[in-house]
Order: sequence, then C-alpha cells, then structure tokens
Amino acid sequence: MTDGRARPDPPMAMDFEGAGDGRTNALALLLLSMADDEFVIGFSDSEWTGIGPILEEDVAISSIAQDELGHARALYTLLSELVADGRDADAIAYDRPPEGYLHARLLDHPRGDWAATIVRRYLYDTADAARLDALVDSSYRPLAELVAKIRREERYHLMHMETWLDRLATSPGEPRERLLAALADMAPDAGTVLAPLPGEQALVRHGIIGEPFEAIEARWRKGVGRTFQRLGLPDLAATRDPGRARADHGDAFRALHAEFTMVRRSEVGATW
Amino acid sequence: MGPRRDPRGAAGGGVTESQPADRAADVKGSDGRTLEPWEVFRQEKDGDPMRHGGSVMAPDATLALHYAREMYSRRQESVHLWVVRRADIHDLADLDLLQPPLDRSFKKPGGYVMRDKLAAAREQSGQAKPKANAGER
Repeated sequence: MTDGRARPDPPMAMDFEGAGDGRTNALALLLLSMADDEFVIGFSDSEWTGIGPILEEDVAISSIAQDELGHARALYTLLSELVADGRDADAIAYDRPPEGYLHARLLDHPRGDWAATIVRRYLYDTADAARLDALVDSSYRPLAELVAKIRREERYHLMHMETWLDRLATSPGEPRERLLAALADMAPDAGTVLAPLPGEQALVRHGIIGEPFEAIEARWRKGVGRTFQRLGLPDLAATRDPGRARADHGDAFRALHAEFTMVRRSEVGATW
Repeated sequence: MGPRRDPRGAAGGGVTESQPADRAADVKGSDGRTLEPWEVFRQEKDGDPMRHGGSVMAPDATLALHYAREMYSRRQESVHLWVVRRADIHDLADLDLLQPPLDRSFKKPGGYVMRDKLAAAREQSGQAKPKANAGER
C-alpha cells in the first residue's frame, strides 16, 4: 500500500500553517476537515458490518460506509498533493494522534443504537450535501471535479437516510422514542459540520467555496427544518460551542482511533 | 425511485393463485412494517429485456429498491431495476397445463421433425449428406 516510513513523532493536523500562503493553508484545512468527517463516520458506521438489523440493511449500511472511506481517501490524496510534504493519503489518515483529527463534534457521538446511527448519518449527510453544493463550482478544479463524483454517491445515501428517518419518526412507540432520544442528544452538535473554518474568508475570496459557512448552515437548517416539521420532530437546537466545533474529541473517539490505527501501529513502517 | 404498480392480474393471472409453501400466508398485504420478499428484475444495458435477478427482503417498495440497488447494481451491473412484491405474482406451475402429455409438435411452425426421415431416405438412395444446410427438418 505505501512505503510508510516510520514517523516516531506524528505531525499535528494543524501543521499545514507554513505550507504556503493563506489560500493554501485554508484550502488544506478545508480538505482535511472534509476528509476527516468522511473517514470517521465511514469507519464508525462500518461497525455495523455483520451485525446489521437485517442482511440487506447490513449490506446497505456497510456499502455506504465504504463509500465514505473512498471519499476520505480521495480527499486525503488531494491534500497530500496540495501540501506535498512527503505524506501520502494513508499517512495522513492513520499517523496522527487523536487530537490531530479535525472531524466535526457530531461525529464524536458513537454509533449507538440503530436510531442513533440513522440520526447521526441523516444530520451529517444533509449538512455534507449543503457543503458539497457550495463546492461544485470551486475555483480549485481538482476539488470541483471530485465533488461532482462524490455528490452522485451522496444522493443515494441521503435517500436511504431520509427513508429511515421517515420510518422511525412515523412508527409510534419505541422506534420514535429512540429517534427522539438520539436527536435530543445530538442536535446541539449537528451544526458543527458547518461551523466556520479558520481562514474561510480566503476560501470565499479565491472562489474555492461559493459562500461562507454561515450561509451554508442557514440553507441546511431551512431544509432540515422543513423535513422535521413534516415529521413532527422538534426544531434543531443552535450549535453548542461553535468555536470548538472540530476540537476536544472525547473518549469515544479515542477508542475509535485506537481501533482504526491498530493494524497500522502494529508494524510501523511496514509495506502492506 | 418510487412505487410503480401495474393493475393486478392484467395478463391472465387468474388460472391459479396458489402460493408455494415458502411464501407463507403471512403476506396479507404490505403494511410497510413486515419484512417480505420482493423479486428483482434488472436490465443490463439499454435495449436488453428485464431479466429476473433474484430477490431481497424488505418492508416496503422504497427499501426494496434501495436493497435491490445494493445487491444488483452497486458495481454498475444494471441500468434499470424493477422490484415486484412476491405476493403480487400470480403463479402457474401445473405440469398437466404447461407440459401436455400428447405430441403436438405439428402445431409448431416447423412442423414434424424431419431429420430422421431424411436420413433414412438418403441412405436408401445412396446419396451423401449435402454439405451446406445439412437437412435438419
């Protein structure tokens, strides 16, 4: 897979400062945050493989999880080409300490029960779709081209999650109660996916992203609001502590990180 | 993707409505909650007929289509999918009706099979078998 040179002291995520001008730094942060989002939710949802509620859904959720790992891989590759510091996609994906990951706090919530998985995915997929919408015409062509491909796969993810959200919300008793509990738990973190990034003014100025995250978030809230209203679900809460939307990953993420780096760490520098 | 229902039994489905044993009687009508089998038909490329691919378990048509997509087209094997509730399929598998015991091959457009008679006639007249168009019928 990679020549995987040993890195006794894995670099931190934010060390792209100094990689270039403001535009490059901001772009690197954008790519890394998107890649880490996809990577973390992809890995976390893949935990359903083999234990899905029915065989068909096991295959479906596993394949969606795999799609996300594929998107993460493509984004890490773009990043490694942009930053060109000698790290390849695998090194960026696996060789950072837990605090070096830039995923949104929403994805720090563990897989939980089926309702929690559906809520986390629904909130993430809708927010991600709004973010991708703002990147289709990106002036950074490699990103615009990748986003066009990713959006075609995300369309089905969204359809599938909307179907499940609908089913749980309209099934009285335990399904709806579990859905409401998961929503109450995660709603204040949902907006973290679209919290402003450092240096995003540079991204907007250079046409890398079509509009600031504040506008993207407003658009996303409107869409989710309509669905929630139809299903009689409570309005989405405002984002809790948006300034630290992609920091302070807790114990659940540490456990996840220990697991997804386990094989890579077992033989540092190995060629796979 | 969405439900697409044709009128029931439009094409002479009324001969027998019996269901094989494995289609248990619990499929009263889709309530959208109970898992039941759906048959999947797929078209491999534009212009091909829809062919039966297999089946998936699902509680409604939407999820049946999602699962059919996962099972029968996640690697671009299809350009078109149909799902049909197995309970909506009218079934005929009676050999007395489908495989009548008496020879009615004269009803086929090719008439009786001539191969053996031709071979016998050729042998009688000492003629070799013609090269092209080796007399089948």
